[in-house]
Amino acid sequence: MASLITCPHCGVRPKEEFAIRGDASLIRPAPTASDEAWHDYVYVRANPRGRTLEHWHHVAGCRRFLVVERDTVTHEVYSAVDGVVAAREAQR
Amino acid sequence: MTAYRLSSGGLADRSKALSFTFDGRPLRGFAGDTLASALLANDQLLVGRSFKYHRPRGIVSAGPSEPNALVTLGSGVRSDPNTKATVVELYAGLTAKSQNRWPSLGFDVGAVNGLLSPFLGAGFYYKTFMWPRQLWEKLYEPVIRRAAGLGRAVLERDPESYEKSWAFCDLLVVGGGPAGLMAALMAGRAGLRVILADEDFRLGGSLLSETETVDGASAPAFAERIVAELQSLENVTLLSRTTVFGWYDDNVFGAVERVQKHVAEPSAKLPTERVWRIAAKRALLATGAEERPLVFGGNDRPGVMMAGAIGTYAHRHGVSAGKSVAIFTSGSSGYRTARGLSAKGVTVSAIIDSRPEASDAAPDGVRVIRSGAIVDTKGRQRLSGIVVERSGFEELVACDALGMSGGWSPVVHLACQRGARPVWSDALKAFAAPDVGDTLRVVGAANGVYTLAGCLRDGAETATAMAAELGFNAAAAPLPVTETEADPSFAALWYVPGAKSKAFVDFQNDVHAKDLGLALREGFGHVEHAKRYTTSGMATDQGKLSNINAVGILAGMRGVSPAEVGTTTFRPFYTPVSFGALAGTARDSHATPTRKSPLHEWAKKHGATFVDSGLWFRSAWFPRAGEKTWRESVDREVLNVRANVGLCDVSTLGKIEVFGPDAAEFLNRLYCNAMLKLPVGKARYGLMLREDGFVFDDGTVSRLSDDHFFVTTTTAMAGAVMSHMDYCAQVLWPDLKVRFCSSSDQWAQMAIAGPKAREVLQQLVDEDISETAFPFLSARAMALRGGINARLFRISFSGELAFELAVPAGYGEAVADQIMEAGRAHNVCAYGVEALNVLRLEKGLLTHAEFDGRVTPDDAGLGRMFSAQKPDFIGKHLSARYGLTAADRMQLVGLKPVDKDKDIRAGAHLLKEGMKPSTLNDQGWVSSAGYSPVLGHHIALAFLKSGRERYGEKVVVWDKLRDHEVIAEVCDPVFVDPQNTKLKA
Amino acid sequence: MVRDYNNRHALDQKLRGTPKPVNADHLEVGHWQAIATVLAQVGLEAAVQRALSSTPELSLRYCGPGEWLVVSEVDTPIGLMRRLDMLCGTQAHVVDQSDGRVLMRLSGPCARRVLAKGVGVDLHPGAFALGGSTNVLCGHIAINLARTGEDIFELIVSRSFAESLFDDLMTMGRAFDLSAAFSD
Repeated sequence: MASLITCPHCGVRPKEEFAIRGDASLIRPAPTASDEAWHDYVYVRANPRGRTLEHWHHVAGCRRFLVVERDTVTHEVYSAVDGVVAAREAQR
Repeated sequence: MTAYRLSSGGLADRSKALSFTFDGRPLRGFAGDTLASALLANDQLLVGRSFKYHRPRGIVSAGPSEPNALVTLGSGVRSDPNTKATVVELYAGLTAKSQNRWPSLGFDVGAVNGLLSPFLGAGFYYKTFMWPRQLWEKLYEPVIRRAAGLGRAVLERDPESYEKSWAFCDLLVVGGGPAGLMAALMAGRAGLRVILADEDFRLGGSLLSETETVDGASAPAFAERIVAELQSLENVTLLSRTTVFGWYDDNVFGAVERVQKHVAEPSAKLPTERVWRIAAKRALLATGAEERPLVFGGNDRPGVMMAGAIGTYAHRHGVSAGKSVAIFTSGSSGYRTARGLSAKGVTVSAIIDSRPEASDAAPDGVRVIRSGAIVDTKGRQRLSGIVVERSGFEELVACDALGMSGGWSPVVHLACQRGARPVWSDALKAFAAPDVGDTLRVVGAANGVYTLAGCLRDGAETATAMAAELGFNAAAAPLPVTETEADPSFAALWYVPGAKSKAFVDFQNDVHAKDLGLALREGFGHVEHAKRYTTSGMATDQGKLSNINAVGILAGMRGVSPAEVGTTTFRPFYTPVSFGALAGTARDSHATPTRKSPLHEWAKKHGATFVDSGLWFRSAWFPRAGEKTWRESVDREVLNVRANVGLCDVSTLGKIEVFGPDAAEFLNRLYCNAMLKLPVGKARYGLMLREDGFVFDDGTVSRLSDDHFFVTTTTAMAGAVMSHMDYCAQVLWPDLKVRFCSSSDQWAQMAIAGPKAREVLQQLVDEDISETAFPFLSARAMALRGGINARLFRISFSGELAFELAVPAGYGEAVADQIMEAGRAHNVCAYGVEALNVLRLEKGLLTHAEFDGRVTPDDAGLGRMFSAQKPDFIGKHLSARYGLTAADRMQLVGLKPVDKDKDIRAGAHLLKEGMKPSTLNDQGWVSSAGYSPVLGHHIALAFLKSGRERYGEKVVVWDKLRDHEVIAEVCDPVFVDPQNTKLKA
Repeated sequence: MVRDYNNRHALDQKLRGTPKPVNADHLEVGHWQAIATVLAQVGLEAAVQRALSSTPELSLRYCGPGEWLVVSEVDTPIGLMRRLDMLCGTQAHVVDQSDGRVLMRLSGPCARRVLAKGVGVDLHPGAFALGGSTNVLCGHIAINLARTGEDIFELIVSRSFAESLFDDLMTMGRAFDLSAAFSD
């Protein structure tokens, strides 16, 4: 029926406004990284039970990729932060 | 005639008579009646036949838990099967029909099933009809479907309309009884945004059938006073006729409002039903409690009802279920109901109390049989008496209605819909709501508080506390004054021993106590297994009455507490919701949006035939007088473009403006070919890969200034490319200084293609667009004569001398008109996407028919575009994988039929000559095919194993689906003008 | 060949012809306003917002971080582009969207109830403040929604979706006798 995501830019929005892109903890390997690293990055995904970080693209809103921390069992959402902020932090 | 309308009393408006029909019989009721109360008032006790045994069944309840009184409302396309008569608001002209009976309700041939009942026990589906297997589909299933069942779905188009709406509130109160009304009142007075929803057409809940006074007034009058105050509060929304059917993530509730279910002639301006999505900061369940039926022999005979329902019909509707009503109870409530009936002048013949002793007071002169048990009932299609057993002696007690009261179960469905299970309470002898946190709390009878005073207090106090949590200050107010009530205690009684005939647990599914025993013996004792094995608790009522007794019986048989048996899983929907309501307005033209090109009206003017292309309407071809088939039109358009000039609408392409000092670097990483050094004023074909090395999309990149690029995508992938760019810019490379936005809708874009294209276009612009001044792959902003800011690109998707002209969308039609006028002397024609497709096919140019997600640049013959020198771009690393560079990959080739009259069809597979069709022998597939009017025969693009080495070889084009086979010669995929002499003319 | 080109409105087909009476709840479709996307250079978002806010003729519609739709009722599309270039200089990139967007103004006592049928955002005056704006989904269609008056909302939609949105809105407003017309 609905679940609500609090977008840091747009406020509380129904999930219909978002497209989910999956694991937000992935880091794109360097072009020179090993085949295995690239294989893992592109193909290998965990299917975690419990807390997980996901990219939610606010397609119908601000068009930002949000990093949503969510429980896959209860769908409790702990946080939603802008993806650029998260990506810059990850690069540090 | 035994059920009858009392001479006075009740809330039905006796000045407003309403006529309706049941199974064609004209009847009358009053405004304020439910269909069930009106049927009872007309002594129509028998309302349906049971699911399996076709036993006569009567009204049991006065609410949404009704298992028996399912009727089909209306007729023809407007008929509504499986409607509970107990919740249908009576209106003038209502027509209702009973279900699951043949030929008539009174005489049902299917009742013979009752004689077969030994074979129709629990699990009979799984045992009886297993073999021979081939008989299942042809014989067993149709017969069972006809014999067992509920109402019939209507196959015609639904003429009703529906809609959905969002609502937001601080507090949602579910249920408008004493607890809910008080809660809404306190919260409303405190200033919260409150929504109060109740499934009934009149707010008040149990107050409407309450005999006690509140604040000195009758209970219904008290309810009316509270409702009036709530109506006066701007911050309170009252939704009657609204069932809250689901509790979803983040405290969003689903509710369905029956806006016009209760009117004979619905207004076209309003929906029949409206689904609400209610986002509530807090919610209160004041959903009341359900009285439990008792499981005893013959308990399904029409006339056996819930005691509370008999009370409701008497007090709220002014209808007595019988002339002589007996009560079978395991607690105080039965006595309370008896006293109320007696006060109304209804004769109570006896109270049968399962308990050995009790302090409850029976009405004066009414006989009480303690330690009593009903073991059988008498009567044919209605009750005429009960067989009461006491200390081993049986006695026949005459009565024409029997009220059963087995205690109470809080209605906690909503609280259990998000995973938490109800919790067994020894004190309540019932499953209570689990603690689900602050956002949803349960009050009143749903919280196990069964006195009126308790409900009023619980609602008021909990709402006040919740208001405080949300920062509102609810002023203290004295609670309404009620009469003193006895504690409504009861003994749990899951099964009445000594049954002399079938003792039903689930009326709707014809499950009786022995079925549960059988399930247990056969290893299906787990509550979820027992449900599926016996069907107890399935179908439209989902066991609202029966589940608790089924759990109790299983617990008894297993020798454990009901806590250990537990309940089946609670899921939305609380009561059935029509598909129409869930779809809302999203049907027909509103099901998906339609996108229209700015040249839509222009194309229409030229007689275009349109084709759905995703959300878009695109012009497919432009038939002219005398052309009988689409092929004639398309062939003419293609030949005219090759010989003269044509105009095609390409506005649906995705268009993206990319800016910033790092824009070139950004695009360089997005595309597999080099973009960094694209000169200003130039366009370049670009190929985007996915990270796994396969082609994602193609398009053009034009550099309009140093830090401004204009990117086009294919129509289909416009959204996906934009999202991909968002991801790359935000997540992968957040430090690149690049900004972009879509300008897809700003530009009407048209391809002007053909040897005369320049001569036509030159008439519209002052600037020199000759081969030297504006050579192939030029791209720049340019004003049209008359001052329109346009963009002109020298790109071609046809192999001809061609331009793409973009003008602000609103001017698209006028500019296209102008081009057609300028081109008249050159025989210009409009051409559609079909001709566009043939033109590109003749040139071996590619679309997503080729880029199907399995194709690398090299497969497509575009290996030279893969810039291995670039340090990094999306898809670079994995493109070097062994599998993607293998020599025997399927490569793009052309195909021509050896026999020139034969056609080739897209989707066909390729085989070596003489080889059997098999996965192992598969040599490739045809991606696109069509008739080339230039060559005069069919041509195709295909992917063939090591195809580029196999030009000249003959292959079998095998299409088993359409039973089509043809021999074709493998050739270069460029069929027309392979030297590109026309392109750069 | 020199001629004046006509600009055809996306809803021309729907709204051309004799004007119908304007009801209490009304959908007015803008005919002549200029609209542009402004994209602030990375890092200069605040400065661009200040510059844009300094001009009373311009109405800013928030789209996302550093991105706005700017609406002008007084400028021509070209005039607006010039004005924005002057205001923002190299701090922002400006894209004309005057032909690519359609503006609809929904007003009346039931405006919120109409919108609630498509928009999953709390429109209560206390929650959606006057002057507020945001990108949002209306039914299946992405729009920019702004509150420009007590009971007035402006919807900006991509041109190709305008007809569908218009049809949806008229269905959503049927209970309130929603009327519709061009603004001039």
